[in-house]
Amino acid sequence: MNKLSYLFLLTFFVMLFAGCQEDESSYPSSDDPTVVVATNEIYGAPNRKFEIKAALADDLGLKNVRIQIPELDLDKMINFSTDPLLTTYDLSYFFEVPSDRGVSESFVIKLTITDVSGNSIEQEINLRLDGEFSAPAISMITPKEGAVILLSSSNQLPVNFVVNDDSGIDYIQVKCEVLGIDEMVQLEGAPQSYTFNKTYTLPITAAEYVLTITAKDKFAIPNMGTLNINIVATNEYPAIYLCDQPKGTNLTTDAVGVPMYFHEKSGQDFEFKYYADTDNKEVYFLGQEADFAPHCFGLNASGDLVDDVTSSPIILPTKGYYKIKVNPSTLVYTVTKYTPTSKVWADVANGLWHDTESLRRPFVSVCGGGIQGATWDTWDAWVQTSLHLANNPNNPYQLVGEYTLTGTMEATFTGQWWSPSWRLIKNGIATMSPGENGNAKYPAAAGVYKVILDTELERVFITKK
Amino acid sequence: MKYKYIGLLIAVLCSVTTFAQITVKGTVKDKAAVPIPGVNVFVKGTQTSASTDFDGKYSIVVPNKDAQIEFSFIGFASQTIPVGQKTTIDVTLSEDNQTLEEVVVVGYATVKKKDVTSSIASVKGKELQTMTVGNVTESLQGKVAGVQITGAGGPGAQPRVLIRGISTVNLSTDPLYVVDGIPMGTSINFLSNNEIESMDVLKDASASAIYGSRASNGVILITTKKGKAGKTKFTVDMSTGYQIMNKPYSMANAENYANILNTAYTNSGYSEYLPNAEHYRGKTTDWWGAGIDRTSSVTNASIGVSGGSEKNTYAISLNYYNSDSFYEIGGWKRLTARIANDFKFTDKFSAGVTLNPRYETWGGPGNWADFVKIDPITPIYKPADQLNGTENEYSIYARSPSYVWNPVAAVKRYDDYSDLYNLNSNAYLQYEPVKGLIIRTQGSIEFGNKIQNIFRPDFVIDAAHEKAEINSVERKATTNVDWTWQSTATYSRTFAEKHNVSLMGGLTMENYDSSDVWGYGEGVPNNSDLMREVSAATKNRNSSGTSWSSSLMSYISRFSYNYDSKYYLTASFRRDGSSKFMANNKWANFPAASASWRISNEDFMADANSVVNNLTFRAGWGRVGNQNLPAAVYQSNIGQGYYVIDGNVVDTSYPSSMANQDIRWEVVEDVNFGLDFGLWKNKISGSLEYYQKTTKDMLFLKQFPTYSGFPANATIWTNVGSMRSNGIDLLLSYKDKKGDFSYGADLTFTTVNVKMVSLSTDGEKLYGASNRTLTVQGEEPGYFYGYVADGLFQNQTELNAHTDEHGTKLQPYAQLGDIRFKDVNGDGKLDDKDRTKIGSPWADYNVGLNLNFAYKNFDLVANFYSSIGNELVNQNISDLYNGASLTNKVSGLDQMAWHGEGTSNSIPRLSKDDNNENFSKFSSFYVEDGSFLRMKNLQLGYSLYNKFGFDKLRISLSGQNLWTWTKYSGVDPEVGGGDTSKGDGVKGSGFGGWNYPVQPTILMGLNVAF
Repeated sequence: MNKLSYLFLLTFFVMLFAGCQEDESSYPSSDDPTVVVATNEIYGAPNRKFEIKAALADDLGLKNVRIQIPELDLDKMINFSTDPLLTTYDLSYFFEVPSDRGVSESFVIKLTITDVSGNSIEQEINLRLDGEFSAPAISMITPKEGAVILLSSSNQLPVNFVVNDDSGIDYIQVKCEVLGIDEMVQLEGAPQSYTFNKTYTLPITAAEYVLTITAKDKFAIPNMGTLNINIVATNEYPAIYLCDQPKGTNLTTDAVGVPMYFHEKSGQDFEFKYYADTDNKEVYFLGQEADFAPHCFGLNASGDLVDDVTSSPIILPTKGYYKIKVNPSTLVYTVTKYTPTSKVWADVANGLWHDTESLRRPFVSVCGGGIQGATWDTWDAWVQTSLHLANNPNNPYQLVGEYTLTGTMEATFTGQWWSPSWRLIKNGIATMSPGENGNAKYPAAAGVYKVILDTELERVFITKK
Repeated sequence: MKYKYIGLLIAVLCSVTTFAQITVKGTVKDKAAVPIPGVNVFVKGTQTSASTDFDGKYSIVVPNKDAQIEFSFIGFASQTIPVGQKTTIDVTLSEDNQTLEEVVVVGYATVKKKDVTSSIASVKGKELQTMTVGNVTESLQGKVAGVQITGAGGPGAQPRVLIRGISTVNLSTDPLYVVDGIPMGTSINFLSNNEIESMDVLKDASASAIYGSRASNGVILITTKKGKAGKTKFTVDMSTGYQIMNKPYSMANAENYANILNTAYTNSGYSEYLPNAEHYRGKTTDWWGAGIDRTSSVTNASIGVSGGSEKNTYAISLNYYNSDSFYEIGGWKRLTARIANDFKFTDKFSAGVTLNPRYETWGGPGNWADFVKIDPITPIYKPADQLNGTENEYSIYARSPSYVWNPVAAVKRYDDYSDLYNLNSNAYLQYEPVKGLIIRTQGSIEFGNKIQNIFRPDFVIDAAHEKAEINSVERKATTNVDWTWQSTATYSRTFAEKHNVSLMGGLTMENYDSSDVWGYGEGVPNNSDLMREVSAATKNRNSSGTSWSSSLMSYISRFSYNYDSKYYLTASFRRDGSSKFMANNKWANFPAASASWRISNEDFMADANSVVNNLTFRAGWGRVGNQNLPAAVYQSNIGQGYYVIDGNVVDTSYPSSMANQDIRWEVVEDVNFGLDFGLWKNKISGSLEYYQKTTKDMLFLKQFPTYSGFPANATIWTNVGSMRSNGIDLLLSYKDKKGDFSYGADLTFTTVNVKMVSLSTDGEKLYGASNRTLTVQGEEPGYFYGYVADGLFQNQTELNAHTDEHGTKLQPYAQLGDIRFKDVNGDGKLDDKDRTKIGSPWADYNVGLNLNFAYKNFDLVANFYSSIGNELVNQNISDLYNGASLTNKVSGLDQMAWHGEGTSNSIPRLSKDDNNENFSKFSSFYVEDGSFLRMKNLQLGYSLYNKFGFDKLRISLSGQNLWTWTKYSGVDPEVGGGDTSKGDGVKGSGFGGWNYPVQPTILMGLNVAF
């Protein structure tokens, strides 16, 4: 074999060998990548996300960045595109601290940045879990959300609230652009609690206002809380509620129907249908839903209807159904007892509707959300006996039961296969099928509630047990 | 005296001459000792020949004792016997399947196998008769290279037959079946395998183009048995046995079911569904045992008489097939008779007539999956305290909370049966006015009547969920009258000894008329059998009826030429006119040409002939069509529907489909190259073929664009798109004999690669099977399209790492043990764009292996079939492993499913809510390797000849589908196409579910001839 042949063979094998190589390290050598972190110390908290921010760069091209917090089970690799090569990258990575970690714990976040040439650098960032991220808590005393200011009796708007924050309050601000209110209170010494109390004067024209209250704390990374309160200033009441609870009762703890929304309205003539479940039932009329103040209609010493939070209740003498009419402007009311004529659904509740005796069983139940065991499947309503409503032995027009609510709830009370059914719409109204569209959502604290479906009133009452 | 001496000398000389010649006599019979008339008896090296008479006897004069006599007859192996001292030589000829002298049916003609220039595979009837099947194509599985057959279980089910893959996406993929020259549509359920003499599969277009517009899926020509001249021969063929229905899954018992669901509920934050699971111990309801028979009988029987004289031959057979369902009711019965008579009036004039009456009855429940899926706690019957004695017999069953209707009750209610009465008659006249010119005319007419009766009794198992408050009855009768008429003239001649020419021309006409009438009513006074009549209905009577027809007229021609049996050329041309198309495209032409070179006949191969006895190269091209679209697509139709107008629901009419005046056939062009070979006297033989098929003008049912003003569901058939497939077929045969032991093996190997060349618009995506398959340009049609399941989240670190570059979770509801879906496009989101190709229903290879052995009187046949490289979607996974439903689960699922790191990487954690969509997202989690190897048949036979007064007596024991190897965990790996009514015949292929499995079957057989 001559030299030329050897040369040819050598070239052939070199080419073959080269051809078999992977392209892995085909990039030329380059400088190490660089990293500039936004902060060397990050505040986090259990059950809360924090952000890792850093600017990464490489003169040739970045390959990947690895983020590790072994104690928190984080090992994330972000790979970068190499076509085209990426020379800079702004890292912004969020991670949620598990809820079972303690606020006194701290960890080290390790960043490993590698470029396409294989150069790696590491960067560590401290993570502390003692961060404070709660916005200052604003507790309204007055006005409450949805408050009604009856201009004919007063055009004063008292604003009274308390702000609390663990890390201290920096300032509070009360704002209502329409009314020209923009009041900022800068607090000295960052107190943990502050009470605001001031009365504003409203124009005497009917209007709706939004009062915005803002509070900011003094934490290293400040937190800000905002609350909007809707207020109606009116010469007429948009709604009147019937309340059968004693004065001082917190009217926001029940889920549905307390106080009870009116049935009919004509001008300022409001009409209620109401069932008094005992003799001598005491009731008031309220100008707002959430509180007894500012408008509570009861009787004065002379037995006349007055708008006064100190008034006495109206007494319904005997148990039964009443039609009650009230005019908050003329302060006139009438109470008339009546005997219902609507269909009695007790048989439904007992399953007696079924021709075949063996198939009879209680079955008015509920479909919905936020109610433990309930779904929108009527089969679940059918099999979950805890959801079944029983007939109230004292009132054939009422189906009663007890539900555990798990949060914001919505419901349709139903017989088997949606027939009959009562869909719960807004204001506690539950008209029988076909009824109106749109299930309303009712916020509710988790817990056990008493449920009354009154088929005569077509109302639902879900009250905290 | 001198003259006396001269005379004596002449006499002596004459006697010497006479004494040197030997007269040999004898009888030629086949292996069953049946005399064979017409056997060619030939003294080698001389011009002396004779043939056997009606009784198989011959007499021939041979020059001396060194002479050799050769006996030859088509279909039998030739024998050469030295005369020696013998004056009587009796011969038994053996049948020879491989001989090149045998004839092959090529469409409107037969030719010798050695003269075939296109791709045609032949299978003898007796090979098909080794199996007991309702549909003979099931027996064809694995026996023909290039033919993929997917078995289908259930009485009367029809296997899917693909000849060289698919050439259409939207139309039927079934081949055309032609029985004794008469096109019979796309199903041969009506034929008993005992009626078949041979099947010839026309695989390439150069062979099938003579069938023009219906040949794009290939053509299968079937020749039924005819009588042969000779003594009357009686045959009885019978096989009977049991089909075995194995429960496909081991399901949870009541306690295990409770534990599984309790785990699913508690994993999702709910209280236990069935607290105190141990309470259910020993209270399992055996649904399977209550409703499914482990075995069901199957019987195939035929009685035949055949024989005749030189003037008249006849073959009469009576055939019975019965396959019971594995429920207590239902099945399929078929009773057919075939009466064939052929007459030879003179040397020039012959005729024949065949009558084929048929009766079929079938029906049966289809709810066997419910026996698996229903919960094991619900009892079959309602407890006594829930009965009041007024329920009817269908209302005494219990309701399952699993939403599965009580399957035992459903079987009891079942009443949906069909009966079919059919008479097919076929006759021909043939005249040969001059030698070589044959004029033949053949006609057939078929009358059919199918009646379906349905009764649905009233019942109340549950007032809300499982009831029929009123019973109903319906009857549907469909009648068809079809006729065909075809006339051909064929002229064959040999010029100058080496130029062989044949020319055929003809005209065919076909007409198909059908009509139906349907009656319906409700409120039959009671559910008794006697009242199940439409006339007994008291409410909601309804009726309908319609008729439809189609016709086809064609001109056909074929030219064949060969030079000295070395160089062959065949060309055919068909012109079809179809009623399915408008004037613009009513007629279409289907040309084809093929050529072959018989290399082994060349002089330069003479020296190699001892090794290479056959070597032929073939090439062919042809164009065929597919017109299997609905009969009236050229019509515009008005549909009915409800629309809301001004707030009111209004019953409206709207244009639902528009005529396409230019609609025309799908056209398939294909080229084929083949090499046939035979080595060492055909000890090894076979053929290797390559083909490429291109489909153009594909038929699609398209929606109108919204700007057209047509409603969204209005459609129009149109010709768009193209697809291409290619592949290799290989047949390899080996046979040999050592003393009394003979053996043989046939190996068939098939590959199909298919790609969409173009669709109606660039980038078009055709979805199928509820958006689970995709068909796009450059890819195979109907591939599985979904998310990639990348194992299960084993620990919190894996779960935390499954985010985008900013830490946003790709699967926000995922928990440990849920499926990790791959962000395929890497865009940091898990959405529709991450769906990709996750499998293909099309096999890379199909392999068949057919073995046969014989030792003295014993014979053994073993057939294997394999599909390699395809995937299947196992839809049952959702039923069996998903804790979100209340149906029963596989036994031990609570331990099989993920329940801690490392416990499983395939079955996700049990969950009531499935918030991570483990089961509702179609992903590779559902896709399994669908390859399988199945022993289709194993048959051991023992034959006696000329014993007990019978020419032949054979008994056999066989097992079908006894053994299957597969990784597929579904019911059966033989999964065919999807719902053709939804256009998913091709696009929905490979979706396995609760399909009726191909069942193992044990059979005893008896064959008698006398």
